[in-house]
Amino acid sequence: MKKDGITAPKGCGGQFDKKCSVDVGSGRLSRRDFIGAATAVAAFTIVPRHVLGGPRNIPPSEKLNIAGVGIGGRGAGDLDEVGSENIVALCDVDKNYAGGVFKKYPNAKAYTDFRIMLEKEDKNIDAVVIATPDHTHAVIAMTAIRMGKHVYCEKPLAHSIYECRKLTEAAREAKVATQMGNQGQASEEHRLVCEFIWDGAIGQVREVHSWCNRPISQRGIERPKETPPVPETLSWDLWLGPAPYRPYHPCYLPFSWRGWWDFGTGVLGDIGCHQLSVIFKALKLGYPTSVEACSSGVNSETAPLASIVRYQFPARGDLPPLTLTWYDGDLMPARPPELEDGRHFGEADDNLYVGDKGKMLGHRIIPESKMQEYKKPPQTLPRSPGHHREWINACKGGPPAGSNFEVAGPLAEVVLLGNIAVRLGQKLYEKGLKLYYDGPNMKIINFPEANEYIRSEYRKGWTL
Amino acid sequence: MGSAAAAAFTIVPRYVLGGPGNTPPSEKLNIAGIGIAGRGAGVLEGVQSQNIVALCDVDWKHAADTFNRYPAAKKYRDFRKMLEEEGKNIDAVTVATPDHVHAVASMMAIKMGKHVYCEKPLTHSVYEARKVAEAAREHKVATQMGNQGQASEETRLMCEYIWDGAIGPVREVHVWTDRPSQGLFNVYWPQGVDRPKDEPPVPETLDWDLWLGPAPYRPYHPCYLPFAWRGWWDFGTGALGDIGCHSIDPIFRALKLGHPTSVEASCTLVNKETYPVASTVHYQFPARGDMPPVKLTWYDGGLRPPRPEELEEGQEFGEGGILFVGDKGKMLGHRLIPASKMKDYGRPPQKIPRSPGHFEEWIEACKGGKPAGSNFDHAGLLAQAVLLGNVALRVELREKLTRMKLNWDGPNMKITNLPEANQLLQREYRKGWTL
Repeated sequence: MKKDGITAPKGCGGQFDKKCSVDVGSGRLSRRDFIGAATAVAAFTIVPRHVLGGPRNIPPSEKLNIAGVGIGGRGAGDLDEVGSENIVALCDVDKNYAGGVFKKYPNAKAYTDFRIMLEKEDKNIDAVVIATPDHTHAVIAMTAIRMGKHVYCEKPLAHSIYECRKLTEAAREAKVATQMGNQGQASEEHRLVCEFIWDGAIGQVREVHSWCNRPISQRGIERPKETPPVPETLSWDLWLGPAPYRPYHPCYLPFSWRGWWDFGTGVLGDIGCHQLSVIFKALKLGYPTSVEACSSGVNSETAPLASIVRYQFPARGDLPPLTLTWYDGDLMPARPPELEDGRHFGEADDNLYVGDKGKMLGHRIIPESKMQEYKKPPQTLPRSPGHHREWINACKGGPPAGSNFEVAGPLAEVVLLGNIAVRLGQKLYEKGLKLYYDGPNMKIINFPEANEYIRSEYRKGWTL
Repeated sequence: MGSAAAAAFTIVPRYVLGGPGNTPPSEKLNIAGIGIAGRGAGVLEGVQSQNIVALCDVDWKHAADTFNRYPAAKKYRDFRKMLEEEGKNIDAVTVATPDHVHAVASMMAIKMGKHVYCEKPLTHSVYEARKVAEAAREHKVATQMGNQGQASEETRLMCEYIWDGAIGPVREVHVWTDRPSQGLFNVYWPQGVDRPKDEPPVPETLDWDLWLGPAPYRPYHPCYLPFAWRGWWDFGTGALGDIGCHSIDPIFRALKLGHPTSVEASCTLVNKETYPVASTVHYQFPARGDMPPVKLTWYDGGLRPPRPEELEEGQEFGEGGILFVGDKGKMLGHRLIPASKMKDYGRPPQKIPRSPGHFEEWIEACKGGKPAGSNFDHAGLLAQAVLLGNVALRVELREKLTRMKLNWDGPNMKITNLPEANQLLQREYRKGWTL
């Protein structure tokens, strides 16, 4: 049974190779799951679809058959957004947390283990929507891509730079339609930012500030010592997935995993893929040359309460080098003098573009009087039918979605590079260094031990 | 001085005569110390060439070592009682209490015509700093704030490099400290925490009511003292108050700063009890003579400015520091960067007299010498700017300050665009306490 990346439980008729390692001893997988897996595997041995060279052709008139993985939190929203299609299978490791969503789609088959679902439902599904915690994005997305499934995956694309790179490559190879869950990319505002900047509305941009002050899970704390029992409805081992084993604690889920390095990616990972996406597009950014960070104190367990990350990007074509500064935990850049008293400086999050000839806060030139005087350029970017619709269209042979993995992969890599600088902040400061990065080769060139953070080791039994 | 002087004193108190007595350089000052454990012990060592005649602390156990060190000094718990009883015997006072007591202790001494050495920050509020500085001027007493770095060679070099044009006009300065954090896992003192709910008994040796002084009453808790009061709004002034008066001082001198025109801040979540875990504060200063307007940015709690390109790889950026950004170059502390530039440039001409030492400056001033380097005319202005930064961090203003920065009319001590913020420039004292 060589199933590119697919692993399944031991004890299923001896059909699985060494990669199979789900802890069935816990008894949390239902009998139905096992039988299902075995059946799917049998079908699979005959003509795996991915061997045929990609996803099937679906005419726009037909509905996609979609499976959802991680459906309790954000996943529910994603499923709503693709509700025009057939939701045929759903998977969550917590029957209780996801209970409402399972009920909402009574015709969808319910699963606990995405691997079993994909094997069993392979012939029934065209596409997969992934909204699990960050640390399982990559293994799920990769399994689906290799099976020729189209993939919608929440942001950040993955938990490590290496995972992002591999997913991007695999999606390209498998020719599947992809979209990362940074829905802002589909907005009118993003298009206006691009069109204004390309029109020279604020001249050449050498400096951008981006911040997010949303309260996102506990941070700056240490691992709890107590080990309360795992709730009956939760498959803790599956929730952990490829992450290193640790005992269950309610401080990790739901949602609060975002602050824990083993599972989440901090505020930068959570929101950076939203907010930096428009900057990447408008200013045609690729890999940065260097990154540095400071924070209110970081530990090996959780992201800091507050951090500032500074990226340096090289010149791109006619565009000059650029400094991009990220702030979280209620930190902000200085209020620009152009912003009138009384105007909110960017609500909870925003971007400030500093050009040679002016400034933009979000998609508004400041001050507002200058915005009013500005003769807007003609629309040069096509408008979006909607973020999820873009993906649905792409799955049915339409143009690639705006945040397909060719776009989203490099963006997520840069976001995650920032986290490496945050995690190593104190060490780098003691060594008198910032990190210089060789993007194409995925390598930090002046501090070798930083490269350990580019790819994380998986728990036994998990592979990408 | 002696009994004759004392007799005279009962008839005409010295301060009524409009100033301190003249102590000739050959004579020793008689000094009383207020707040003598902790930093106070160090301050007394700094002036131990003089007579230490009276000592006051609200915790005799905590202060026991210092009391033992000066067995001839009379012991007090209440500085008011000490100043009343020892008025005739003392020329000068050192104040090293927690920040919230600085002003009341200094002011009483100044009004009695005593010279004052007071630890930084000069006071707990902007208003107090203004009033204490005015009183010192009026009473013509010799003063010095405890920012000893002002007496250093490094501070002089910073001024002389900048005045010599080594980095051209300066429009941007960054200054930072890692406090209240200390490296990776430790803190100097906690911030971002809430008031404790338990009420342990007051230690027998501590006069809690006196420790509170003019601050609003609250039950005793060991989380406040010693030292950790720095993180609590009611007592301390956070990292900015603690370190700002040290590290912003050379910037004030080198760039001839006075009142800022505006201030704004961002920080981790604040509560009404303690200062935030980390903050950045942005000050705008107007043009001064030939010098262009300058932006000064403060960072604490582990936040730092960007590492300058000019700094060679492997060169430490510093757990605290000052970065001057000039039109023609940059200076990290008193060193031009990169080091090659420093080497090429050589030393600027000496324009500032070198100091005999921070404490010695004050002792000399008390004996009729020239004003000390951080006398309250200078220190008051510096402390006001520092403490104004804390106003911009206040939780009461967080929402409003997303819509504006605070515009500051320094000469009139007034925030001009947010009237309610002016209430935070001073605070009401507990009953029985006045400035």
